[in-house]
Amino acid sequence: MPQNDIHTKEYFHSVVFYREDCIGCTKCVRVCPTEAIRVRMGKAIIDPHRCIDCSKCVSVCPTEALRVEADKLESIYSFKYRLAVISASYEGQFAEDFGFKNALKALYHLGFDEVAEQAMITNITAEIIRDYIKIHPNIRPILSSNCPAIVRLVQVRFPSLLPNLLHIESPMSMLAKYYRDKIIREKGLKEEDIGIFLIVPSASQVTAVHQPEGNYKHLHNGAIAINEIYSKVLAMQKELEEDTRPIVSYANGLSWALSGMEAEEIATEGIETLAISGIHNVIEVLSNIEGHRLDQYHYIELRNCEQGCVGGGLNIENPFVAASRIRKLINNSEKIKIDNDYFFRLYKEGYFDVTQLEPRSMMELDKDIKTAITKMKRVKEITDMLPGIDCAVCGSPTCKALAEDIVLEKAELSDCLIRLRKLRTKKNEE
Amino acid sequence: MKGSEAVKSKSIPEYWAIKPGFEEEIKKIINERPEPEISLDYEIAENDYVKTGKASSDVKFFLKKLGVNPEVLRRVAVASYEAEINVTAHSKGGKVTANIYSDYIIMMFEDYGPGIADIEQAMQPGFSTANELAREMGFGAGLGLPNIKKNCDGMYLSSEPGGSTTLIFFIYYEEKSYAAK
Repeated sequence: MPQNDIHTKEYFHSVVFYREDCIGCTKCVRVCPTEAIRVRMGKAIIDPHRCIDCSKCVSVCPTEALRVEADKLESIYSFKYRLAVISASYEGQFAEDFGFKNALKALYHLGFDEVAEQAMITNITAEIIRDYIKIHPNIRPILSSNCPAIVRLVQVRFPSLLPNLLHIESPMSMLAKYYRDKIIREKGLKEEDIGIFLIVPSASQVTAVHQPEGNYKHLHNGAIAINEIYSKVLAMQKELEEDTRPIVSYANGLSWALSGMEAEEIATEGIETLAISGIHNVIEVLSNIEGHRLDQYHYIELRNCEQGCVGGGLNIENPFVAASRIRKLINNSEKIKIDNDYFFRLYKEGYFDVTQLEPRSMMELDKDIKTAITKMKRVKEITDMLPGIDCAVCGSPTCKALAEDIVLEKAELSDCLIRLRKLRTKKNEE
Repeated sequence: MKGSEAVKSKSIPEYWAIKPGFEEEIKKIINERPEPEISLDYEIAENDYVKTGKASSDVKFFLKKLGVNPEVLRRVAVASYEAEINVTAHSKGGKVTANIYSDYIIMMFEDYGPGIADIEQAMQPGFSTANELAREMGFGAGLGLPNIKKNCDGMYLSSEPGGSTTLIFFIYYEEKSYAAK
């Protein structure tokens, strides 16, 4: 059982709701994969326990009442030494004539002292995961944990699969940890002088930076959205061309921005892998895994965004275009040797281990099973009284969900307008 | 042919498998036949590989709402799915009833035939009578019944060659023979 009470824990969310802009259209209610949203009195209400910051709602909201809020660029300036850790999807945002080296240089011009690419440790991460698979022969399949929305989805909807999640820091967190120690060591700086910021393509990564799961302390000082700096980078083209500083890039490792590549790289030495992207696909597959129907796979890569991180909502470029550019970069890249042994040793020493991930399940109707059964009986009775068309006009995502809301005293039977109309028609006929 | 099968099944008309520690309790249920708290009914159509799995996923969802231990929930999911596939692949269709109690679940699968010729053989891992369609759909490895047995606390199977087959399984929410992790 969870140590901290999941019912009272406060959750950080990068998906932010502006009530005054909400028109109560219920579009968000219908797409939410954890049924975290209701519309009551014409306005959306988000359950902070259930929300996993997948940002599906943000993409359908017609009035921008739902937005993703990441850290502002200005927040980096309060640190003496600033490191940018960039997501692999960043390089796919810039057209070939702009040049990805310029895109990397731009980060120095924005005020960073050092830049680290997620791509740098792709190879060693694959090696670490292969080792993890081998030393955990009783866990099948092992599920990727580098997409924070997926980790939270498992916590909320599939707690039985928590032991299956890869209990190792995500590559970007590994880099942050490695660099923080390196900077302290080499530059003689104090911990509080160093600001580590991730440049991220999705809302859930912002959340993970501010409230990491399975972690003791914050590794990062903030997360900046790719779309926050994009225009500033483009505007710098001229000065970037004139900047002749040498840029080392690990483009070879950019592959993890694309869905499927992680699974492909891990699949050697008889390891069977599978890759799934898009949250609704992921839910279907997790349900099958719960029923032990995919135990033949050693490792399954799961991504909230379709196409992988290039499909993240904080990107600018179309995911297919970005993916094509990244493929090109990978093909033209030179292999740069990094000290993989050093990273592997750190992993073996437990440096990247995360603490046991806890459930965050709000699925049960009551803590007491007898009371839950009584409530569920009532849910069933009410469901039978509802039209079953899941129109969401009542503000709940489905008729079943409305029945549950009624039992939990969060809605009333009269919220169903379809039923009300039917009753009225019947009355008129009489 | 029909006669010989009937004779064979007469010697083993039914099959019981109960996990150690559950004998008394299951015997008590059989004798007292307590009323379930909630009963859920589903139809299963022959060869309908599109809709099959609906009952097991519904029941799983239901148990999640009751806050049933996740590991137990997975066992219910496996056993009910396998049983549902069995009805889909091997029978002329049938129905399933999930009887939910406050500390255990009983699921009953009853089909419209044609029955199992030899129950003992059917319980052997690897034995299968699955047709080509079932195999094309990725089923028919002969692990269905053994897998059900493995995942439940008590299992009952009876079949009349030429007639219907009944499969009942019992799963308790509190693990007894399974050490909770």
